[in-house]
Amino acid sequence: MTSHSPDRTQSTMLHINNLQKSFGELAVLNGVNLEVAQQEVLVIIGPSGSGKSTLLRCVNHLEPPTGGEIYLEGVLINDTTKSRRAFESHLNRIRCEVGMVFQQFNLFPHMTVLENIMEAPIQVLGVRREEARQAAISLLDRVGLADKMDNYPCMLSGGQQQRVAIARALAMKPKVMLFDEVTSALDPELVGDVLRVMEGLARDGMTMLVVTHEMGFAEKVGDRVIFMADGLVVEDAPPQEIFSAPKEARTRQFLAEVLK
Amino acid sequence: MFDWNIIIHYFPFFVTGALLTLKISILSLLFGLIFGLIAALCKLSINPLLRWPAVFYVWLIRSTPLLVQLFIIYFGLPQIGIDLGPFFSGVLGLALNVGAYNAETIRGGIISVPYGQTEAARSLGMNGALAMRRIILPQALRIIIPPLGNNFVILIKDTSLVSTITVVELTLTAQRLIGSTYKPFEMYVMAAVLYAVLTSSASLLLTWVEKRTRTEARRS
Repeated sequence: MTSHSPDRTQSTMLHINNLQKSFGELAVLNGVNLEVAQQEVLVIIGPSGSGKSTLLRCVNHLEPPTGGEIYLEGVLINDTTKSRRAFESHLNRIRCEVGMVFQQFNLFPHMTVLENIMEAPIQVLGVRREEARQAAISLLDRVGLADKMDNYPCMLSGGQQQRVAIARALAMKPKVMLFDEVTSALDPELVGDVLRVMEGLARDGMTMLVVTHEMGFAEKVGDRVIFMADGLVVEDAPPQEIFSAPKEARTRQFLAEVLK
Repeated sequence: MFDWNIIIHYFPFFVTGALLTLKISILSLLFGLIFGLIAALCKLSINPLLRWPAVFYVWLIRSTPLLVQLFIIYFGLPQIGIDLGPFFSGVLGLALNVGAYNAETIRGGIISVPYGQTEAARSLGMNGALAMRRIILPQALRIIIPPLGNNFVILIKDTSLVSTITVVELTLTAQRLIGSTYKPFEMYVMAAVLYAVLTSSASLLLTWVEKRTRTEARRS
């Protein structure tokens, strides 16, 4: 899709069709259409309240959509025809394939760093303990925190916690990773480490949806940037285009504001 | 004046009574914990068939006196064919009673765990029960333990009420001994001392447990 990813395949990972979400009277998503290719890094930008986080949270059904469809490799995620019980286990399977990293890290405070990462593979996927441990250690190595494996989350800086959270999500071997403003709660000097880990992931071919205010990251790592406002995708373009020559007035206005 | 000899003479009876009080307390504590946990989880359920019975149970217990609850179980139930006998009537009544208070304590602990923890667990593919068991409850426990301990100390003292349904625990032991010795002061003081020993031991134990969980909490 862009110059620095010539070998990326074009088969669809995520297909979102006319997605709607309202909280009571408040409509947050007003018919979002989106296609994300395998190994693509999609960066989602936009003013607060534009629906970017809600869009991500609909993908793994932390927020049930009010309308529209989301397909993961052709499988309908919000399949309302299923019985309640069948839908629950269907969702849990989907969530194993869709990793999520939160703004507030949400590490489990009563577990060590290593236990945080091993927990879901053991309890959900039934991975053997020793195997999960080895995988967790190599993931920690990948995010540069192998020396912290026996620490509790409270002993780590925000940036370190967030890298553990990324490793925890990766431990499920997801097909897609969702990043929901993962650097917004961090001190500025800690942002770089987290972004470097994400950049590495992108290089390794992970499909990523990244909600962020880090325009530098969007430009450098993103294959595509969408600008959202009022629950709609206003502009959808490669980063070079959207940052140098935005077509829509709303995009220009927003970028002028954040790049000031 | 205070007659020490009579206390020494009847001390073995007091020990027997105190042991029965301890036994009733521990059994009620155990069942009270189970009732409390079940009721708390039901009250938090989105399923009205689980929620409403739990809400009703907690309301019913908390709005009626324990003494009347014991009378209903011991004197009332046999009339409809359920005769549990004094001991089990006492344990059931106390367990149901403390269970209702535990339910509120446990529920409060669970809802005080940040919602982000549930979301993180669910986003990793855990189902609701697994997330509750592995992620939410262990964190809630730290918050729950101190008030739960309080409930248990109250429970030990409340066991004296089962003396009214012919369970010869500490209080009824004292009363019976008064019947033959006419020494109410000595006997009731002795019972009070033994209650104080039981509750204080329980408190010490709880302080120890609390300290341990707090050390763990500090790490996180």
